[in-house]
Amino acid sequence: MRPEAATSMSIQTTPSQDISDLIARCALRDRAAFRVLYERTSAKLFGVTLRILKDRSEAEEAIQEVYVKVWQRADRYVAGNTSPISWLVAVARNHALDILRARRPVSEDIDVALEIPDGGPSPERAVQDSQDRGRIDHCLGTLEPDRADAVRGAYLDGYSYEELASRYAVPINTMRTWLRRSLIKLKDCLSA
Amino acid sequence: MSTSDDNSEQVDGRNALVAEHVLGLLSASEHERIGRLIENDPALRSERDFWVSRFAALNAEYEETPVPPYLYAKIEARAFGDVVRAGRRTSWWDSLALWRSVAAGALAVAVAAVGFNLLTPRFDADQVAVQLVAALQAQEGSGVEFLAVYDQGQGEVRITSLKGAAVPEKDFELWYINGDQPAVSMGVIPVDQRLQIPLDEATRAQIEPGTVLAVTLEQAGGSPTGVAQGPIVAVGSAIPI
Repeated sequence: MRPEAATSMSIQTTPSQDISDLIARCALRDRAAFRVLYERTSAKLFGVTLRILKDRSEAEEAIQEVYVKVWQRADRYVAGNTSPISWLVAVARNHALDILRARRPVSEDIDVALEIPDGGPSPERAVQDSQDRGRIDHCLGTLEPDRADAVRGAYLDGYSYEELASRYAVPINTMRTWLRRSLIKLKDCLSA
Repeated sequence: MSTSDDNSEQVDGRNALVAEHVLGLLSASEHERIGRLIENDPALRSERDFWVSRFAALNAEYEETPVPPYLYAKIEARAFGDVVRAGRRTSWWDSLALWRSVAAGALAVAVAAVGFNLLTPRFDADQVAVQLVAALQAQEGSGVEFLAVYDQGQGEVRITSLKGAAVPEKDFELWYINGDQPAVSMGVIPVDQRLQIPLDEATRAQIEPGTVLAVTLEQAGGSPTGVAQGPIVAVGSAIPI
């Protein structure tokens, strides 16, 4: 049913390597590589812009901008930090979120005083991409169900604190506190 | 306002700002500010990558959806079109705006060019012919300037150097270009003497008001490929006199 199924034989052998090579070749201004990269990844990235923007024509406009960015920023992809497809999804997701963010009314930053601690968080060693679905599901499972869903909604749908607060019918400050504590718990679990 | 839980978080010295940034929960101004902090701090970048890669496990929930086929051509036009405009190294021939901007400068020397023209021995007063002049002005401090006159009746371009000196092991090469067409060589030119360049029929038809003349510094004997390779040292567009 999915259009990629018929053409995914080579992808299945070493999908990550293939996409990584294509991005590297885009950095070298290889237009043919860009087309192949687009053919292999655009359905996924379109799914991202569509889900976050929830409007087909906006998502179509966004996907164009996303691939222009991919072409322009291909040299910034560093293999090893994140998997290539995760990087592409992040470009698409961040672009869609930028669009939503620019549209939102300027709200007061309640926690302007909240600074990142001086020492910064302890560096994560050997950060590796974890496509392992089980791990994040397990850790989200340690949170209360509502809070886990709120984290998912923030990530997958790009919901703001305001939208989450109204979805779960709690005051916005409560939602912030929920989310922040959840994220700290999540980090402990994911780092364990 | 602080609850005891908030206090314990402060004592713990931790907060969730990087994760909030990755999730996109911060306001536009905070998002930008924290984004800068992250970019400038390896430890924060590492934490950002941690979150990006862990949340990436949720990406499977994004449903693949085929993009309408007509979009790709638009993407190529935008992606590759931008590169041509932004990429300085593609070709200086693309810089038509620069060239056109010197047309006004050419006008300033038109009077001088008329004088130059009158002094040329082969000037034929009986012939009413189109004459064009181009002042090829120095680019990027090259210190090289030429004046070119095209006489349609004679079917030749006369070029003389106004300023500049020969460069060892190099030659100056003259080119003409019309609109978006590729540059065409008119041959190697000296800097210390006036040169008459006879044009064939096809070339004569190409030289018209607005045609850009340019001089590049090429390897001795001129560009071997027929495509300009060296830096542009003088440029101007042809105007009627």
